[in-house]
Amino acid sequence: MSTPDEVTLKLSSSMLRHGSELPLHARETVFSLDDVSVFYGDYEAIRNVTLPIGKNEITAFIGPSGCGKSTLLRSFNRMNDLIPGARVQGTVAYHGTDIYGPDVDPIEVRRRVGMVFQKPNVFPKSIYENVAYGPKVNGIKGNYDDLVEECLTRAALWNEVKDDLKKSAYALSGGQQQRLVIARCIAVRPDVILMDEPCASLDPIATAKIEDLMGELAKDYTIVIVTHNMQQAARVSDRTAFFTAELDDNGIRHGRLVEFGPTRELFSSPSDKRTEDYISGRFG
Amino acid sequence: MSTINPDATALTAAANSLRRSKPHYGERVIRGLLLLAAVVSVLTTFGIVISLLIPSIEFFTEIPIGDFLFGTTWTPLFMNGEFGVLPLVSGTLVITGIAIIVAIPLGLGSAIYLSEYASLRVRKVLKPTLEVLAGIPTVVFGFFALEFLTQLVLVKIFPGIEVFNALSAGIIMGIMIIPTIASLSEDAMAAVPSGLRDGAYALGSTKRQTAMKVVIPAALSGIVAAFVLGISRAIGETMIVTIAAGLQPQLTLNPLQGMQTMTSYIAAAGSGDLATGSIEYKSIFAVGLLLFILTFIMNVFSIRLVRRFRQVYQ
Amino acid sequence: MSTRQSLEQQPQSFSPQSLSGKGTPLRDRIFMWALFLALAVGVFTLAVLLIYVTVKGWPRLDLRLITNMPSVRDPENAGAQSALTGSIWVITFTALIALPMGIMAALYLEEFARPSSKFQRFIEVNIQNLAAVPSIVYGILGLAVFARALALGQSVITASMTLALLVLPVIIISTREALRAVPRSIRDGSLALGATEWQTAYRQTLPAAVPGIATGTILALSRAIGEAAPLLLLGAVSFITFNPDGVLSNYTTMPIQIFNWTKESREEFQILAAATIVLLLVILLAMNFIAIWIRNRTQKRW
Repeated sequence: MSTPDEVTLKLSSSMLRHGSELPLHARETVFSLDDVSVFYGDYEAIRNVTLPIGKNEITAFIGPSGCGKSTLLRSFNRMNDLIPGARVQGTVAYHGTDIYGPDVDPIEVRRRVGMVFQKPNVFPKSIYENVAYGPKVNGIKGNYDDLVEECLTRAALWNEVKDDLKKSAYALSGGQQQRLVIARCIAVRPDVILMDEPCASLDPIATAKIEDLMGELAKDYTIVIVTHNMQQAARVSDRTAFFTAELDDNGIRHGRLVEFGPTRELFSSPSDKRTEDYISGRFG
Repeated sequence: MSTINPDATALTAAANSLRRSKPHYGERVIRGLLLLAAVVSVLTTFGIVISLLIPSIEFFTEIPIGDFLFGTTWTPLFMNGEFGVLPLVSGTLVITGIAIIVAIPLGLGSAIYLSEYASLRVRKVLKPTLEVLAGIPTVVFGFFALEFLTQLVLVKIFPGIEVFNALSAGIIMGIMIIPTIASLSEDAMAAVPSGLRDGAYALGSTKRQTAMKVVIPAALSGIVAAFVLGISRAIGETMIVTIAAGLQPQLTLNPLQGMQTMTSYIAAAGSGDLATGSIEYKSIFAVGLLLFILTFIMNVFSIRLVRRFRQVYQ
Repeated sequence: MSTRQSLEQQPQSFSPQSLSGKGTPLRDRIFMWALFLALAVGVFTLAVLLIYVTVKGWPRLDLRLITNMPSVRDPENAGAQSALTGSIWVITFTALIALPMGIMAALYLEEFARPSSKFQRFIEVNIQNLAAVPSIVYGILGLAVFARALALGQSVITASMTLALLVLPVIIISTREALRAVPRSIRDGSLALGATEWQTAYRQTLPAAVPGIATGTILALSRAIGEAAPLLLLGAVSFITFNPDGVLSNYTTMPIQIFNWTKESREEFQILAAATIVLLLVILLAMNFIAIWIRNRTQKRW
């Protein structure tokens, strides 16, 4: 069971967010990336990433702009497939199955791996229909009322919207919209929720609500979050991966994984100089 | 790297579940149908070419292509009629020429005014007005050319003018293509980066100098594309010439006389009930083929220009 | 000496007074007015045209225009009913053919085809070309293929199929623009929930693009209603004094009826033509207003 990663996975169990005693190698992993690189055409946006994502944990990806962290995140649910010329090398294993394998249907992957985007992309429909959309397209028949209530409740939105379910989702504030997107996401009962800078367009109060919600959701879901905001990563995540952009010999930028470890450890005693520079604000 | 603590049951369950849970045959069928709809446009082009070409080839086995292209007499309905297409071509060119003389200055002037001078409020009124002008059916323009322009205006200026004449049709056709030229030219000028204008103004240029020396040269290929498309529309226009320019094919440059164009010949001959195999019937297609080739070349040229223009400013 | 003098004087030429300038130069003002005049000619002609046909057609702008059939003997009482119903028949089937086909083609090109693949570029250029092919050429196509080869004759369906092909490029182009205006994030949101590409296109992108599609389609159909040239080759010229009773029925349309009357020498027929033009223009203007209304009502939600 010893892995090369153990060097970076110096665990200090007391530092885990919700007091889990389990070090990562004793936890079940949901994703394990092995030597993953993502290309756009000939351009290698991020190269040679190897890291595991632990079950029911919150893993944060941080790093300066252009380091490929969002690109990497989009390879977890094959959203990169939608970008012409995008290509993934290496293995992205989900519960041991390579999701880029020949038998795998990207649609099935996306049903299990939900995603919340940077800008709250609610559909131009009613609040109710936004939540019911996922189950509907996934062929789940029947009455969605209970499901809608459950999901909105879990997304901490029910009390604010329960009388306005037929209203357009566009009438909601930005923070409410983002919680609606989360409710919409959990309505398909995913296993993993990917969040791509979910608070980037929100004010601090709305951000705090989303962060609280993430803590709640981590009890049932595995969460991977990309964030620009280091304090946010420190506040919410169990584990943090720090990426940076490096110039290669030809002067082309590539994203690289620099360091991966328990969040508090990474923030208090980073093992890499670049991580230290970044989190102390000397860079990026 | 081995998977960390692989959970055997989870693994197999997940492996199964990532396969297609239900086949998406419907998805494929729909995709095919959509593709089919997109291919209809290709079939249309194909259909146009074939339906023009086959009767035309038959036509040219009877009438040598040289006689057709360079003959100066067009009398298809006579016994032993002659099929020299030049009178129709000259009619088309004279009327198109008049239309261009009207439409290019007026269309380009309108475009410059809208793009460089008009306030937002003026634009909001005038642009839709031009759109309405563009939406007037050509049969209405034809009626207007014959009943109003010829009989109430032009007869007073040119007492010798014929009731059916090229001048009236040409002028109204020019009015008709103003919106085409104006809106495409304006698009081209709007695409010129405002940095270029700012640069000119910063050097102390007046609005006129900026428009004439900076914006128009920068937008030139887009503007030329607009002209070409406008000319192509004029060549292909049927109703105005059929109604107002008369149906006598004659080789003349006198705009006060009536003329027949390629389009008005097709309309006149095609609206009669010609026998499918007759030479007159086939002549419709030969003239149609010539018309199609002429306009096709202009359209392709115009589309190319626009595309190149867009690439410069993207 | 002189150099030195001029150097000393120079600052004066930049004195604050000179900033007041001499106003817009005369040449520039003439230029602007010339441009305005160019625009005014088009607007003025439009106004004259509208006034002229209204005044000329005024004596016959009454209900007889809609209730009575065309006649060659009795211009005093002749109407344009068969032309009105014929136009409605033809345009209805044009819409039924062109609308689904145009939307499907646009969906394919915008949502399914690999962007900037050779095939897509080919179809794109082809559609742009078709949009500029003279309408009379479509008439030739309809004559050769629908009327004669398919033996549909001089019928409503021949006219509708021909006009459908004529407006198809316009519908495809405007539908694609409407689809393109739907933000990528809506599609991503749907796909990330495990929706298929078709589900995403059908349930999210298409509904969000409906206002834009409606606007473009109405404008395209209003072009088809006013179109006469291709129908000249498709039998609409014959004298029709009955309403169509099916897709294989003979027909006439308003623009064709107008054309027929302009060929008559008696002044009463010219008046009748003007009255029918007013009717046609009112219908077209109504369609344009609906299109603009839809466009304004639903502008920019994202």
